[in-house]
Amino acid sequence: MSLKNLAALLALVPFFLLSSALWAEDISIYFKVSPPLELLRPYSDPATMTLLITGTEGKPVAEGRVAIRLDAPEPGRFFSTDFPLVEGSRLLDMSLPLRQGKAEWKYLFPIRGRYRLTVEFITPDGRTVTKTFPLGIRENEQKWFFLGIFTMGLFVLGVFAGRIFTRALSNAKGRAAGCLLVSMSCVSWSIDVAAQEVGQGKYFGRLEIVPAPIGKPSSVRWKLSGEENAESRAVLLTLTIVHLEKGKTVFSVERIPVAGEFAMNFQFTDGAEYRVTAIAYIAAEPMLRTAQNISIAGVEPPARAAIPALGFFLTVIALGLAVGRWSRRAAPS
Amino acid sequence: MERTVAGLGVALPEPVLFLLKSGVFLCASAVILYVALAASYPAVHDTLHNFRHALAVVPCH
Repeated sequence: MSLKNLAALLALVPFFLLSSALWAEDISIYFKVSPPLELLRPYSDPATMTLLITGTEGKPVAEGRVAIRLDAPEPGRFFSTDFPLVEGSRLLDMSLPLRQGKAEWKYLFPIRGRYRLTVEFITPDGRTVTKTFPLGIRENEQKWFFLGIFTMGLFVLGVFAGRIFTRALSNAKGRAAGCLLVSMSCVSWSIDVAAQEVGQGKYFGRLEIVPAPIGKPSSVRWKLSGEENAESRAVLLTLTIVHLEKGKTVFSVERIPVAGEFAMNFQFTDGAEYRVTAIAYIAAEPMLRTAQNISIAGVEPPARAAIPALGFFLTVIALGLAVGRWSRRAAPS
Repeated sequence: MERTVAGLGVALPEPVLFLLKSGVFLCASAVILYVALAASYPAVHDTLHNFRHALAVVPCH
């Protein structure tokens, strides 16, 4: 290559970089959650999450895909949530096609805390724009109320014990203390069920789910099979995952256009049974419904996750003991 | 200092006796709380599963 050509090539490089940056500046990614984040609680109702990608002059982009990654909140400083294995892990990793610049799905948040939603817009020619949205989910107030009541109960127990253990005891009180201690010591001692419904027509849907333990994403894949061109056949797919015990939809996408196949990584956050249902709408063909039940084995959380809560409860009892003793001593005999 | 007979023929100061009783009480409480809130024994876990989740800070599977 001559020096002249090399110089011309080098002169073009900044132009390409600049034009790419200018193009990226034109793209805006908007995100909306319904109901609003302030009203959402863990394992209450699924949230409808909508992405809108706009290009020049704020018009929705005509085509493209969005890669979506949802990460769970990082572990707290002291207390664990009720699903410690989920904390800090990848919950969802999928790619959705845009329809009039929009992508929409439903998701049920499993724990309280600050989630991170990373959206990567990919144009048909492969260019990308990335944006991260923080999503704060508050704990259910009823749970805080129960925790308060339980803590208060332990404190009152400590106060009673503290009063009983203080001073020389009469026979009756001694028996009561003995009974308290005796009663305390007495108390202390994936298989997949496939239900693939094969259609009667030329095509049939297949669900392939590789369940992973809690804390890791499972591979969920739907594929159109049947005739030769099934892999490339345009279909509208509705995929729903339901937590059977709670009777709640934990994830769903509705009528997304796919070319014979849809795959995502999804973390099942609770050790329970789920039903994954895929409904495919193909032009001039009957609707295809495929369903599969999967059982996610519960994983015992690490012992260290329980230590802060147990330590807190014992501290409350100890505080009650001290207050009980103090109240007994302060009272005139 | 006030002295109390513990019942085993050993005389102990009242504050020491209180600490001993409180210590036993706290140990028993710790065992009960561990079994109720953290043990994975299925019978206990299944019975108290909803209770554990209701407390917001108790880890479950």
